[in-house]
Amino acid sequence: MLEVPAGQIFKIAEIRGGQGLHRRLLALGFHPGDLVTLDNEAIMNGPVLVRNLTTDTRIGLGRGIAQKIMVETVTGDER
Amino acid sequence: MSDRAPVIVFIGQPNCGKSTLFNSIAGYKAQTSNFPGTTVTHVHSEVLWNGKVYSIVDLPGTYSLSPHEPQEKVVLTHIFKEKPDLIVNVIDASLLGRSLELTLELLELEYPMVVVLNMIDLARKKGITINVEELEKKLGVPVVKTVATRGFGTDNLIATIERALKLKVRPTAPRYSREVEKRIKELMNILPEDFPVVANQRFTAIKAIEGETLAVDRFISEHNLSFKQELDRLRQEVSALRDAPAYEVISAERHHLALKIFEDCCRVARLKISAIDKLDNLIMDPVLGYFFMLVIFAGMFYLIFKVGSPLETWLLKPWEAIRLSIENNLGHSLLAELLVGLVQGIGGGLAIVFPYFIPLLFLMGFLEDAGYLARASFLLDAFMHRLGLHGKSVPMFILGFGCNVPAIMATRILESRRDRIVTALLIPFIPCAARTTIILALVAFLLGPWWALGFYFFNIFLIAILALILKKWFKYDSPGLILEIPSLKVPSLKSIWQKIYFNLKEFVRFAWPILIGGSILLSFLSYVQFDRLINAILSPLVSGLLGLPQSLGVTLIFGFLRKELSLLMMFQALGVGYGQLLSVITKTQLLTFVAFVSFFIPCLSTLSIIWKELGKKVAMMSAALNLSVAVVVSWLIRLVASLF
Repeated sequence: MLEVPAGQIFKIAEIRGGQGLHRRLLALGFHPGDLVTLDNEAIMNGPVLVRNLTTDTRIGLGRGIAQKIMVETVTGDER
Repeated sequence: MSDRAPVIVFIGQPNCGKSTLFNSIAGYKAQTSNFPGTTVTHVHSEVLWNGKVYSIVDLPGTYSLSPHEPQEKVVLTHIFKEKPDLIVNVIDASLLGRSLELTLELLELEYPMVVVLNMIDLARKKGITINVEELEKKLGVPVVKTVATRGFGTDNLIATIERALKLKVRPTAPRYSREVEKRIKELMNILPEDFPVVANQRFTAIKAIEGETLAVDRFISEHNLSFKQELDRLRQEVSALRDAPAYEVISAERHHLALKIFEDCCRVARLKISAIDKLDNLIMDPVLGYFFMLVIFAGMFYLIFKVGSPLETWLLKPWEAIRLSIENNLGHSLLAELLVGLVQGIGGGLAIVFPYFIPLLFLMGFLEDAGYLARASFLLDAFMHRLGLHGKSVPMFILGFGCNVPAIMATRILESRRDRIVTALLIPFIPCAARTTIILALVAFLLGPWWALGFYFFNIFLIAILALILKKWFKYDSPGLILEIPSLKVPSLKSIWQKIYFNLKEFVRFAWPILIGGSILLSFLSYVQFDRLINAILSPLVSGLLGLPQSLGVTLIFGFLRKELSLLMMFQALGVGYGQLLSVITKTQLLTFVAFVSFFIPCLSTLSIIWKELGKKVAMMSAALNLSVAVVVSWLIRLVASLF
C-alpha cells in the first residue's frame, strides 16, 4: 500500500502482520477483496490516508502498518 | 424479573453519534465528540418514559465484539454481565455498509434488538437512500431513523423501544455460507455440557471457532482433550475455505453479508464532490494541512483574546467600583476585609474566568465535533513519533487545553501502558482552560497578546523537550497508527452547548464556591496575619529562588486546588485591584509567577485522576517532574530577564 501512486484504485490482496493488527483492520472494515485508494500521504515519513471504497471509510495508517497491506491492480469491470 | 427496570444497552461503532443520541433521550450524561473512542467507560442512566422506569446504558464505541481493544473489553463484559432486555444498535447511516458488520455480530446474540440509523441527514447528503422496510425485513428487527443532534426521530425511537420490550421478539442469527454453517452446526452439537455458554449455543460456537474468548482457551486446556482436537479440526476446515485464518473467514462472511444487505436496501447516487470534501482535502493536504493547522490554532487563540479582553474590562468595572466604595466607607475593619474578599471572589469568577473559559470551551467543542481532532492527530503523527509518541496521543493533548482531567482519562484508549504513562506525565504541562485564563488575563491583558502567544509557544516547546527526555527514560516501541478519520461535518450547537454545560456546571458547583470561600478566608487570614506564617515558610522558595513578593506564597496553596485561584488570590494577597497590578510587581515577576503557577504541580483534580488511573507512583512522578520543571523554568525566566 505504500508504494502505489495516490488516487488510483487497487484491491486488497492480503493483510499481513500479527493477529492483533489483522483483526483490528478486519473490524474496521478492511478485508481482502475490498477496493482501496491512497488519498494522500503525510510528509516526513508520516502516516498515509487510505480510503476503502467498498465500505466508504477512511483511516489513517502508520507507514509500518500500511506496508503490511498488500494490494493488486483491479481489472476493468470493477470501477 | 418483572419488578426490575428493563435494561437497555446502547451499542455502536465509534463515532456513530451514540452518545449524542443517548444524551438526547437520557438527559445530559455522556460526553460526546467526533473522535473515535471517546466514551471509555459506560454511562448508566435511569429514565422515566410514560410512567415507566428504564435503566439505559451507553457503552463505549466498538468496531466488533472481539476483545482486543480496551474499550471493547468493557463492552463485552458488560453485555454478558447485564443480560440486557434490549440492545439498541446505533449506526452511522452514512457508513451503513461497514456498520452492519457489527449489527450482524450483535444479531448472533439473539437478544431483542432495535437498529437506529443515526445521522440519516449525512447519509442523504452523501447520496445514500435507505429503504427502511427492506432493511427491517432483512435484519428481522425494527429500524428507526434519527438525527440525534437535532432530536429528530427520538420520540419514534422511544416508542419503538417500548414496543420491542413488550413484544420481546428475539431475532434470528444471520446465516452464512453453507460450508461455514456446516462447521458451526457441527461444533454446536459437540459442545460439552459444562462448556461456558455465552448468550446462546450458536454464538458460543462461532466465537470458539474465531478463537475469541479467553474462557474458551482456558476451558480447552483444562478439560476434554478430544473436544480440543475436534475444535482444532473445525477451525482448520473453516480456515481452508478461504485460505486464511478462521477468524478472517468468519469476519469475511459478515463483511460480505453486510455489503449484500447494503446493496439490497440502499440506492447510492454518485454525487459530485461537495464543498466540504474539497475543504477536507485542503486541511488534510500534506503541505497545506500544516499551514491550516497553524492558522486554526493561532486564530482560535486570537479570537478568544479578542472576545475575552474587552469583555473582561467591561465585567471588571462594577466589581472594582464596589470594592473601592467598601474601602472608602468601611475602612480596614474586619467586615470590610471580608466583604472585599467576597466581592473579589464573585467578581473574579465572573469577570476573569467566564470571558475566556466559555469561548475556549466553545471553540474546542467546535473543533472536536467538526472532526478536526482526528485530522490533527493524523497530521501530527510523524512529529509525535519523533517525540516517542504517536498520533493517537494528539487528541488527549488537545483535549488537555480544555481540561487536563478528561484528557488523562482519555489515555485509556492507548494500547500500551508505556504510552499511557508518558502521555499522562506530559498532559499536566498543557495549559488547560484555567491556566490559559491566567495567561490571557495576566500576560495578554497586562503585557500584550504577543507575550501571551510567546508564552504559549514556549509552553508547547517545553512539552516537546520533556517528551524527548521521557523518551530516554521509557523505551519506545511504536505499534503504529490505526485511526479512523470521521467525516468532516458542521457541528451542532446543541452538542457543543452540552460540552460547555458540563464544564461550566463543574466550575459553578465546585470551583466558584471554593474561589469565593478561599477569597474570604484569605481576607480573614490576612486580617489576623496568619498568612504571614505560610508566606514565611514558603519564603525561601518564593522570594529567595523566584524573586517574587513574599506575600504570594499563600496563593500557591490555592493554586494547588485550582490553578485560576492563584490568579485571583494574587490580587487578594497583594492587596490591589486588577488595574494596579503592575504598580506592585514588575513584568519579570509577573512572568515568573505565571510560569511557576502553570507548572509547579498538577492541580488537585489532575493529580487525583493520575493517581486513580495510573497509580501512586506515576502521580508522585508527575508531581516531582512538575515541581522541578517549574523551578527551573521560572528561575531561567528570572535569569534571562536580569540580563536585559
